[in-house]
Amino acid sequence: MYFFLRIFLLFFLLGTAAQADQQGIVVRQATVYDDANSAARQIGKIPAGVTVSIFERRGGWQEIFSAERSMIGWVRIYQVRASSNPTVTEQKEDSRGFLSGLAAFSRKASGFFTQDSGATSSGTATIGVRGLSENEINSAQADFEELARMKKYASNRTRLTSFVAVGGLKASEVAHIPQDNK
Amino acid sequence: MRGYRLKILLLCLCLTALVTSEVYAFDFDAFKKQLEDNSESVTESLKKVDQLRGKVSTADEIEIGAKLTSGLLGAAPLVANAELQRYVNDVGSWVAAQSSRKELPWRFGVIQSQGVNAFAAPGGYIVVTLGLYQLLANEAQLATVLAHEIAHVVRKHHLEALQKTMKRDLWTDLTVEMVGDKQDRENMHKLINSGLQLYTTGLDRRYEFEADLYAVVLAARAGYDPYAFLDVLTTIDSINPDSSELAVFMNTHPPTSERLETLARKMDGRLDSYARGVDNAARFRSIAAKQ
Repeated sequence: MYFFLRIFLLFFLLGTAAQADQQGIVVRQATVYDDANSAARQIGKIPAGVTVSIFERRGGWQEIFSAERSMIGWVRIYQVRASSNPTVTEQKEDSRGFLSGLAAFSRKASGFFTQDSGATSSGTATIGVRGLSENEINSAQADFEELARMKKYASNRTRLTSFVAVGGLKASEVAHIPQDNK
Repeated sequence: MRGYRLKILLLCLCLTALVTSEVYAFDFDAFKKQLEDNSESVTESLKKVDQLRGKVSTADEIEIGAKLTSGLLGAAPLVANAELQRYVNDVGSWVAAQSSRKELPWRFGVIQSQGVNAFAAPGGYIVVTLGLYQLLANEAQLATVLAHEIAHVVRKHHLEALQKTMKRDLWTDLTVEMVGDKQDRENMHKLINSGLQLYTTGLDRRYEFEADLYAVVLAARAGYDPYAFLDVLTTIDSINPDSSELAVFMNTHPPTSERLETLARKMDGRLDSYARGVDNAARFRSIAAKQ
């Protein structure tokens, strides 16, 4: 019964693959499991380079569907990589303003305190900032009022207690992951 | 006659004892002084070694961070939404409370920039761009992004990088006297400039990988789903890397796909039991919707 259900699901997905949440590509040969854990039954393997549809993520597992391999199941999240997301790429169309924002940021960042001390050498001006003139750099100012505003929003014990309780958050002890593990 | 000799002998003995004790007294004082001198020079040397290794005092670290942050804010001000700013501070402070430097005066902010990025400054100052904030889907994702920046502060990555980029003597002078004469101030300004340049040149790659690994653990400790960070990286990875919003981010971080794979591999099997942590999507949306 389960087998037929699965076959039905497979055909259903074959028809609707184009409408999947997101497309992705298998970047490392992936073993496909029928549940999101390594003790689950192995369905098969998908080699690197195969395009798949990406569905739900559960912990370190990603549910995928491969039309090419007629396979649906769970793979480890690092074995598959999402390709371009239309909703994200649309956003960047109208954000050309960032370039000028970036320029302003870099300019101000690099020339910080220049007027005050004259400490910014021409060497300093050209190290970290790309394509900006020294004049632009000299017009920079730090904003201490904004810093004072930022400090005003800082959390405190009362607020944090309520925030944690309302959010259902519970702290637990988790050991750090060593840098050199596999 | 015998008594006379005895007196002479006693006198000689006393004189010898006096002279000997004086000699010993003199040696002891010299030795003590030598010890004090050595101790002073050892303390001074240790102090310099610490400074050279980036171990500035917490007060100085906060001072450096405040200056760097005021520079960032001068380039892009805070988003004018008090509720959003308080919310980000609550999320960040809760995550930072799970770190080994919970005593720092942690401050968080969302800045008015469509670029996708986040910045950490020494001493506990962290800002996220509105462009990045708007890509996030829930509180757990926000928590992991802040956790990555918190990791840079906890591990003093920027301080270490600054120390490497500046001349040793200059760094030592700076840390000995943060506020002093004109020369000190000028040195301070050079330090700030170098610090801000780090935001456009980036930290060492290994610092970024280290912060990723630290971030997911902090998020799990705070009760959030640590895998939310992989969702954030996946979202960023799906943006065209040549797009203008990602210009600084791409220049200052290792390729997102590489971070994703490295992190996911290291997390594999270790944090599964925390994947059911909360994401508080509803609370996140209720704040975001009011922008």
